[in-house]
Formats: sequence, structure tokens, C-alpha cells
Amino acid sequence: MSAEPSIRDYLYEEPGPKTRRAIRIATVVSAVLVAVLLIAMCRQFAVAGQLDPKYWSFFLSLSTWRFLGMGLVGTLEVALTAGVISLVLGALLMFMRLSQYVFLRGIARVITEFFRGVPSLLLIYFFFLVIPQYGIKMPTFWMITAPVALAASAVLAEVFRAGMQAVPQGQREAGLSLGMRPFAVTLKIVFPQALRMVIPSLISQLVVVVKDTTLAYVVSFPDMLQNARVLIANYDALLSTYIVIAAVYVLINYAVNYVARYASRRMGAKIVSASTIDPV
Amino acid sequence: MGVLELLAAYGGNYLVALLTTWELTLISFVLTMVVALVVTVLRVSPIKPLRLLADGYVQLFRNIAGVSLLIIVYYALPYLGLTLKPFTCVIITVVLIVSAFGSENFMTGINTIGIGQLEAARSLGLSFTQIIHLVVVPQALRSTVLPMTNLLIAVMLTTALASQIPLIPQELTGLVSFINTRSTGGIATFMISALGYVLSALAIGQVGNRLDKKLRILR
Repeated sequence: MSAEPSIRDYLYEEPGPKTRRAIRIATVVSAVLVAVLLIAMCRQFAVAGQLDPKYWSFFLSLSTWRFLGMGLVGTLEVALTAGVISLVLGALLMFMRLSQYVFLRGIARVITEFFRGVPSLLLIYFFFLVIPQYGIKMPTFWMITAPVALAASAVLAEVFRAGMQAVPQGQREAGLSLGMRPFAVTLKIVFPQALRMVIPSLISQLVVVVKDTTLAYVVSFPDMLQNARVLIANYDALLSTYIVIAAVYVLINYAVNYVARYASRRMGAKIVSASTIDPV
Repeated sequence: MGVLELLAAYGGNYLVALLTTWELTLISFVLTMVVALVVTVLRVSPIKPLRLLADGYVQLFRNIAGVSLLIIVYYALPYLGLTLKPFTCVIITVVLIVSAFGSENFMTGINTIGIGQLEAARSLGLSFTQIIHLVVVPQALRSTVLPMTNLLIAVMLTTALASQIPLIPQELTGLVSFINTRSTGGIATFMISALGYVLSALAIGQVGNRLDKKLRILR
């Protein structure tokens, strides 16, 4: 959502009396329609018996939330580990991509485009089903963390690259004219400035990582969704539990996005995401 | 299992899976565009409740985790008396999620038009519909070519969620899990599916880049 003054407030001229009345009528009518829609949804819940307290009351008990909280810790462990790994790998891929050696550039390009073009779920199945066939035993933690990190690092490599390209060319030229070696210029002059510029984008990329961690139940790693499945089995309350879990994820991601937008405003840096970088 | 052996046993399945992925992607993308357009129109409309509804829609679906939404649509909606086919469930899920991002792309596209242009158009005496038709839409659409190309690729990657519900025939990701839970297919099972995705994404990217070069307004 664009919280900044956006063009949508300038699309129309100041409405005249007739238009103002039309807008007012439309506002009332649409408000009623939205309310009817919401009521109809609630009614459907009631008709289906899903508002029965037995489906919702266990969310009032502390132990439920403690159990979900344990899962949330698992989710966060995976998300943060994957986040850190993807930062390092992403930066490494970007340096390779910008290196003067054609060979390194080629490898980095193939890796980046491969992991950007493959769904994370397929990568998870690779670590979960294919790798064990070669006699390699991995803890479930890494079966979910490794694929999530790989998928994220490819996107981060592109985000970093966009940041590097946004640093004014004069900075590099100044460094070179001082007699610094090209790699030193990249590492000591361009990269630190690029890093500052991409911080908001890095934060917003964390949302993608958190979303990917929800796939942890595929490898039976006890994340929040996996623990929710245990709750469902115990209380036979599928609908309510999934709705609560989805809401928790939405709130987490909303908060992360909010921080990213705040950082973006604060630093005056645009958020670069998977949808704004060049397609493969 | 070697690649040839694998292709002999499951080659047909891979072809069907690739076509299923493409089919899911295409249908979802078309619907995504329609929904994103409607949502965006609501978001720029002067009617407050509709604006709020559309803003809420975008916030909800760009932040929800894909699996949890698919699970709600497929496993939980029947409890509310709404049972849908797996294929429909996948499309609904993908469209709900990706259209939120699509609407963001449209909004960014609209935002690239300077306010000065609107003022200029107005001072020339253009009517509201003329401004939208002649100034806003042509520019907004041109600058959304690349983001929308990425969106199409995102749609394709999101359809991999279909492997989490019993969709028949399976798409590329579901097939990998299907083969490997039955036999030891090895790395090749994964690579074939992965190449299916990557090559499709590359092709989409190529077309998008060409289109963008033709249409982009250099600023």
C-alpha cells in the first residue's frame, strides 16, 4: 500500500456539488454492500456450525499459544538462518556476476537464473526426497533451511546488483583514479553504499523467506504450521485453526513489510523486489 | 535411475505435467490480470469503502502464505459447505495471491506518471475519461510490462503449490514427489522438472524484455 501521497489523490478534480452527492450516495451504498458481504460470510460460518465455541475456545488457553509459540520459534529459526545464509550467498553471487572474469560471470548468471526460475517447493522436495537417496542424512532443519536460503539468495543477488548499479559511476572512477585496484573499489567504495541503499529491499525480502518457511511441514520440521496440524488433530478444529494461523502469518509479514516501508522512507531508497528486477 | 530409464518410464507423465503447469499458469494469469485491474480501479476510486476494501484485499493477500491459503481453500472451505475441485482451488489460490501483487504493479505504473502531466492535461481541457484514456493508461501500461513479466513467472512458480493437494494430473513439482515416493529416481527426476520451469521462465523473460524494449518510454 502506498502510504506516501500518491497520484490517486490527484486523479480527479475537486468535485462539484452534483458529483459530491453522487460520491456520497455511492459511498453509503458500497458501505452497505461491504457490510452485507461480511455479514453473509459470518452467517455462512454460523450456518455451518463453525462458530461453535468448541472450535474457538482452545485459543483462549495459554498452552495452545505456548505450543504455537514453540512452532513460531522454529519458523523464526529457519527464517533467520536462511536469511543470513542468503545474504552471504547473495552478495557472493553478485560479486561474481560483476567480476571481470567471463567465467565467474557465467557461473553466477546460471546459478542465479536457475534458482530464480525454480519454485522453492521443488527445491524442498530435492532436499527432502532426492538427497537422502544418495545416502546423505540431513536434519529436517537443513532440509527446509537450505532450499529456502538458496531460493532467496538468487533474488538477493539481483537486489544487490540493482543497488550496485544505483551507486553513481563517479564514485568508482574516483576510486580508480586514486590508484585502487578495481576489486578494492567494488568492495570498499561501491558495496558499502549499495548495501545502505538495499536495506529496505532486504527487509521486505524477509517476507518471502517467512512465507517459504511455511513449507516446513513438507519435511515435518516442527514449525508453526506443523504444530497447527497437531492442534487440528487434537481438537478436530480444522477451519478455525487454519484461519488463526493464516492470520498470524499475515500479521508477521505485515509488520515486516511495514518496517521495510519505514526504512525505505527514512533512507529515501526504493524497495527492489522480485517483481521489479529484470526478468531472467 | 538414469535419465533415459526415467524418461522411458515417466516421459509421458513429465509432458502432461509440463502442460498442466502451463495450463494452470495461463488460466491463472489471465484471471489475475482481470482481478488486479478491478482491484486497482477500486483503489483509485473516490469511494472510501471500496478503497478500503481493495487496500485490505491487497494487504491480506500479499502477506498471506501461499500454502496456508491453499489449505484453507481446499481443506477448510468444505466445512463451510463449499467443495471445489483441486484444479479450481489451485487457480483461486494463485489468483488471490498474485493479483494483490499485480495491483501493486499497476499502482506503481500509475505512480510513475507525474502529477504535472495530469495538471497539464487538465489545463488543456481534457475531460476525466480523456485523461484516463489518453494520458494515464497508455503510460501506466507501458511501464508495467517488465513487472508483469515477472508476475507471469511468479504465477508459474506459485502453481507448484498444487503439489500439496491431490491434483490430477500432477504438475511438475507434484510429479517429482510422486516419482520419488515410489522409486529412487535420483537427481534426474528433479532436474527434468527444474528445467521445465527454468526454460519456461527464460522464454517468458525473453518475450517480456522484447516487448518492453518496444514499448518503454525512456525518461
